[in-house]
Amino acid sequence: MTIGIPKALFYWKEPFSAGAHGGHFWKTFFENLGVEIILSPETNKEIIEKGVKVSDPETCFATKVFLGHILWLEGKVDFVFVPRLKTNEEKLEYCPKFFGLPDLAKILVKTPILTETFDVRKDHYLSTHPKKGIPTYLTKALWRLGKKLGIDNKKIKKSTDSAFLKEKKSREKQKENFFRKIKSEKQKIVLISHPYNLYDDYINVGMKKKLEKLGAEVIFIDEVPIEGQGTRDKGRRLNYPEFHWEFGKEIMEKIEEILKYSFSGAIEVSSFLCGCDAVLKEFVEKAFKENKIPFLYLIIDENTADAGLQTRLEAFIDTLH
Amino acid sequence: MKITFPYWGNYTIAFKTLFKKLGLDVVPPEKTNPRAIEDGAKISPEMYCLPLKINIGNYLSAIKRGADTIFMVTSLGGSCRLRYYGAIQEKVLSDAGYDINFIVFDQTPKDIYKKIKEVSGASFWQIIKAGWFFYEKLRLIEKLEKMANYLRPRERIKGGTDKILMQAFLDLDKINIKKELAEFKKEIEQKISKIEIDKEKVVPKVGLVGEIFTVSDGAVNFGIEEKLGKEEVEVHREMDITYHLKKRVFPWKDWLIQRKINPYLGSTVGGHGRDAIYEMLNYVKKDFDGLIQLLPFGCMPEVTIRPILQKIHLKSGIPFLSLSLDEQAAEAGINTRIEAFVDVVKNYHNKKKKI
Repeated sequence: MTIGIPKALFYWKEPFSAGAHGGHFWKTFFENLGVEIILSPETNKEIIEKGVKVSDPETCFATKVFLGHILWLEGKVDFVFVPRLKTNEEKLEYCPKFFGLPDLAKILVKTPILTETFDVRKDHYLSTHPKKGIPTYLTKALWRLGKKLGIDNKKIKKSTDSAFLKEKKSREKQKENFFRKIKSEKQKIVLISHPYNLYDDYINVGMKKKLEKLGAEVIFIDEVPIEGQGTRDKGRRLNYPEFHWEFGKEIMEKIEEILKYSFSGAIEVSSFLCGCDAVLKEFVEKAFKENKIPFLYLIIDENTADAGLQTRLEAFIDTLH
Repeated sequence: MKITFPYWGNYTIAFKTLFKKLGLDVVPPEKTNPRAIEDGAKISPEMYCLPLKINIGNYLSAIKRGADTIFMVTSLGGSCRLRYYGAIQEKVLSDAGYDINFIVFDQTPKDIYKKIKEVSGASFWQIIKAGWFFYEKLRLIEKLEKMANYLRPRERIKGGTDKILMQAFLDLDKINIKKELAEFKKEIEQKISKIEIDKEKVVPKVGLVGEIFTVSDGAVNFGIEEKLGKEEVEVHREMDITYHLKKRVFPWKDWLIQRKINPYLGSTVGGHGRDAIYEMLNYVKKDFDGLIQLLPFGCMPEVTIRPILQKIHLKSGIPFLSLSLDEQAAEAGINTRIEAFVDVVKNYHNKKKKI
């Protein structure tokens, strides 16, 4: 049995932020279950073209890319894996477009879709495992997923643990990495976006490499470490509404954290027609404006040209001097 | 303190009386017009959905006429952007230099009651009475709208229904006493019964689904119901305030809807996404001749479910038209699309009759 995993949207998402920093949660999990997996390749022109062709013209660019990945996997695997991410352990919701992903994939391809709902509100288990630090609702959802594939309890438990362990290790590495970067004497630029835009080099037109070539140190907002929940809410300095989106709260809190360090500028990257970013941008922009930090807002879509972006980045870097 | 609120089709009349009954000084919002939309779009976030821009346009014209407090209802339980309407609108207005008192209501009776009490200082009975009067007026407006949809394609003198309806809404606007409302109800029923209609005429039926604000506000959707009525098509629309309120009061309705649409969509996608699929399946079952989906450009729930609606359309063969509206939508363009769609609907209807 082979399972296909599209390298888009949920693949980069918390709490399984898979390939983002080398954790590869889903890959580790399925491989430990003894299932063969096929990952879709890095996003390329062909995938984007395919995705744009089949998807609704008004849906966000990230979803279009996702559907392109699904089409690439069609016919190559027995199942395509598309989880339904609804809420995370803090009872905060994911983007509403994530709720419908399995259904959109289902009407697009003939290959059966393997799906499972990750919802704290459904599995009323808020407590985390005392030793391993794994939220119980996740263990439960992953167990159901394993059962769908007909795998015994012991094996599921073992692969869940090992996948989370790997995830945890990579997170620590990321933290070290961040402190190394923040001490750097180069111009530091913070890139703000969703993980699926940040880590996918083709989608963001190699923004990181471009900025590094221009002599800047790039810090992804995703890398900024924040303390556990509970302690975070206290002492909020920025003014923003109580977000019910996990990424909304996370990004704003991370911005608050990074403002404690010194850096030269911030760039927000947003997929074209991303509804959530329309809300978020207002408050992100305000946060940097209030702190007098140069801010650039870029919208990317399938027509974003390499040269155009280069010019804008160069101009932005020039203004920092 | 002079309050104002967003314009919402004919329902504005009911909201106006509600606030007046509570003893508040109301600056009624101007009917949404292209200029208001343009003004609103100028200062609102570019990527935000259309209703927010329209609301801002409404506020701006009301502020010019002296309003200093804005009432806005948002949904703190939903998943879509409506949740942040209050916060964003407040920010947009203060960034544009307006010093406005912004009061945001959550869609729960407790929150609404608490805030209304705080603002107006009305007694419990006064609020209940005003609320009931509001509901009665609302029901009457919705009933008139539904009746008009039935009458328009069948009327013998073209435009007769709309004439009576327009006058009725103007008169209804002035009524503030319960007794008068009862009299008005009788009067309007008599007037409507006098409209000459061809009862035996078989007309094609079209269902209207989509985002609640664009579907039910004639000023935003360029009067799509009247247009279809004039083309001799009967329009059916379930989405209105009562439908929404009923869903808030009886939450299990969502569960029933979910059970019906399970093969197509496994979860909510925010807003009225699920309802559109449910309604479409219903209309297909009832053998309708067409379906129109209305949505603001980029509306997250409606865009997510559109491929599913298209799938149902391909499966059942029912004609389907999806119209997304933004601040650049022009009436002429919409007219052309509706006319073409009506031709398709009529062909489909005639073909079915022959079989």
